[in-house]
Amino acid sequence: MKIGSMFKDLLTSFFKKPITELYPFERPDVAKRFRGKLYYDPAKCTGCNLCSKDCPSDALEIIILDRAAKKFVARYHMDRCTYCGQCIQSCKFKCMGMSNEDWELAALNKEAFEVVYGRDEDIATLLAKFSGNKTEPAKPE
Amino acid sequence: MNTEARLQRAKDALAPFTRETFAPETNRLDVVIDAGDLTKATAAMLAADCGYLSAITGLDLGVEAGYMEALYHFCDAAAVTSLRVRLSREGQPEIDSVADQVPVASFYERELSEMLGVTVVGTPDPTHLFLPDDWPDGVFPNRRDFKIEDAAPVERDVPKIPEQGRMGNKFIVPIGPQHPALKEPGHFEFAVDGEIITGARMRLGYVHRGIEKATEQRNWIQNLYLLERICGICSHTHTSAYAMGVEKLAQVEVSPRALAIRELIAGMERIHSHLLWLGVVAHEAGFDTLFMYSWRDRETIMNLLEEITGNRVNYSISVLGGVKQDIGPAESKSIHKAMDYLEERIRYYLDIVSTDAMFLQRTRGIGTMTRDEAILYGALGPTARASGLVRDVRLDSPYGAYKHFPISIVTDERGDLEAKFAVRLKELLVTCFTIRTLVDNLPAGDLTVRFPRKVPAGETVSRVEAPRGEAFYFIKSEGGESPTRIKIRTPSLCNWTSVLNKAVGHQLADMPMMISGMDPCFSCNDRMVTVRRKNGSQTMSWFDLRAYGIEKYKSR
Repeated sequence: MKIGSMFKDLLTSFFKKPITELYPFERPDVAKRFRGKLYYDPAKCTGCNLCSKDCPSDALEIIILDRAAKKFVARYHMDRCTYCGQCIQSCKFKCMGMSNEDWELAALNKEAFEVVYGRDEDIATLLAKFSGNKTEPAKPE
Repeated sequence: MNTEARLQRAKDALAPFTRETFAPETNRLDVVIDAGDLTKATAAMLAADCGYLSAITGLDLGVEAGYMEALYHFCDAAAVTSLRVRLSREGQPEIDSVADQVPVASFYERELSEMLGVTVVGTPDPTHLFLPDDWPDGVFPNRRDFKIEDAAPVERDVPKIPEQGRMGNKFIVPIGPQHPALKEPGHFEFAVDGEIITGARMRLGYVHRGIEKATEQRNWIQNLYLLERICGICSHTHTSAYAMGVEKLAQVEVSPRALAIRELIAGMERIHSHLLWLGVVAHEAGFDTLFMYSWRDRETIMNLLEEITGNRVNYSISVLGGVKQDIGPAESKSIHKAMDYLEERIRYYLDIVSTDAMFLQRTRGIGTMTRDEAILYGALGPTARASGLVRDVRLDSPYGAYKHFPISIVTDERGDLEAKFAVRLKELLVTCFTIRTLVDNLPAGDLTVRFPRKVPAGETVSRVEAPRGEAFYFIKSEGGESPTRIKIRTPSLCNWTSVLNKAVGHQLADMPMMISGMDPCFSCNDRMVTVRRKNGSQTMSWFDLRAYGIEKYKSR
C-alpha cells in the first residue's frame, strides 16, 4: 500500500493554469452544434404547424395570416423552450435553425422572452388585430 | 440456453396455474393466471430459475373492458415472462404479496396499490411510496377514469418525520429529506445502538413528478423529451429505451449507423456517469482531491458530448426513427483525443482507489454483499456485478448496435465498496475501448427514417442497460397519437433493498458511502412536487410555489 500516492499529481497541478474560465471577461467558444436561440424564416415556411405540434413545451406558435402569400408570424416563447431541437427536425422545409452565437439569453423582464418572427407589416397587422384583447397566459390569483 | 428454451422452461413451470397464454413478441411469453395462484406461480418461477422479478406494471383496461391487470415481469436473459393477473375494477380488488419471496417487490407493490388501487395483502409496508401522505383516499392516478380535480389534498394527520431522539429502546437518527450528505432529497431513518446501525427505513417521492401519467397526454414525439428529463445523468438511456420500444411497436427499422451512434452516446454517458459517481463517493469519504480531479476530467467527456450532440446534459440526440447528429471526421478525431486522455486518467484512479491506504480503510470490507444476497435483493448493474452476479442487458439481451459491437463484462467477487470501485473503473476502460471501435467502424446508413405519427396498437417491453443497471420500459399503444400507458422502472429502485438490508451492523459513518456506493438516483425513482408546509398540505401548484418563493424573498 502506498501512502500519499497523489503527491506527484498535486505538485504538477500546482504549476498548471487553472482549468476554470474567466467568464464573462472571456467569452468561451461554444460547440458548432450548440443549440441556442431559435431562428425562423417565414419565406420557407408552408404553415404545416408540425413544429408547434411536436414541441414538447408549447414554446412555438405559427400564426397563419395568408398561406398563399406566405404571410406567417412565429411567436417564440424563449422561456418555455427546452432547446431540444425537435422543431428543426420536424420541419421539412428547413425554415428554422438554432444559433450557437446567441446563448446569453437571461433578461430582467418576462417580455424579453417573447420573440416574434415574420415580416414587419405582418406583425403590425397582427398587433392591430389583437390590440385591446391581448392574449396573456393565465396569471396566479 | 437460447431464448426459446428459456420461455419453454417458464411455460412448463407455470403449467399448473395457466389460464391462457400468448406471445406478444418473439422474446416474450404472457401467462394469464388467477389472483389466488400468484404466490404459488411466483414460487414456481423462482424454483425453476426462470429469472428475476424485474417490474410490476399496473394496467387499467378501461371502464368498457371492466377489469384491470397487474403484470409481473420476470426477466431471464432475453426472455421476458409476464404473469398477468386480472382484477375487477369494482369494489376493492385484492392481490397477495410476493415480497416475502422477492424483497424488492415491496416497492413495486406499494406503487401498484397507490397508483392502481389494488390492496396488496401481506405487503410489509402498505404506506405511500411516491404519492404524498395527504393524497385523497380512493383516487388512483393509473385508473383510466382518474381526474386531476379529484386529487385535491385532504386534511389528515400526516405522520411526522421523527425528531432525533429515543423511540423505546432505539435511538433514531433521521437523515434528510434535506441533508448535506445527500445531493438529492430522500429520507432515511437509522436506528442506532451507539455507532452501530440496527435498523434502516426510507421514504422516497420527494421529487415525484408524475411523468408516467403525463406521457398519456402528450404525443409520441413530445414524450421523447419528457422522458429524457427523468434523469439528468442517464437521459440518453431513457430516450433510447423509449425510442427502441416505440420503433418496435411501429415496426420501423432504424439504420445501423443510427443505432451505432446511439450506442456511442450511451458509452460516453456511462463514462460521465461513472466519473461523477467516483467524485461523489470520494467526497463522501472526505477525499476531496479525488473529487475535484475526477470532476475536472469529467469535463472532457462533457465537452465532447456538447460537441457531438449540442448539449452537455439532455443531449436530445435520439429521435423516433434515428438520431439527429452524425459523427464526422472532426468529431471522431476529438473522440480519440479525449479517450487517450481519459484512459490514462482512469488507470491512474484505478491505481489510487486500490492502493491508497487511507482510502482503502473506508472501502475494504464495507457493505459486503455475497452473490446469493445480490440475487435475493434483486441488485442490478454495477452493484450486482461487484458481487459476482453477471446481470447486464447489453450481454443478456443485446439490443440496438450491441449485437454487432458487443461489450465485455467486468465482474468482481468481493462484493464490498472496493469491488464497486474496481468494477466501475474497469468498466470505464472497457467503454473507452468500445467507443474507439465504434468510431473507427461506424456502419453506413441514413441518420433517420420516416416515422408515422400514429403508432399501431400493441404492447412492448424495452430494456436498456443504464450506467446504474437495467432500465425497464413497458409501452402500450392503442393506435393513437399518444401512448395509453408507459411504465418505467429505473435501476436505483432495485438497488435500495440491498443497501438498506446491508446497513444493519455497520457504523453510521459508513452510511453516506454505502448509499452513494450504489449510485442512487432519486430523480429516477420519483417521477409531483411534494413539500411539507405549515397547513399540513404537501402538494404545491406551480403558482403556489412561485408565490411562496416571492413571499419568502420579501420577508428576508
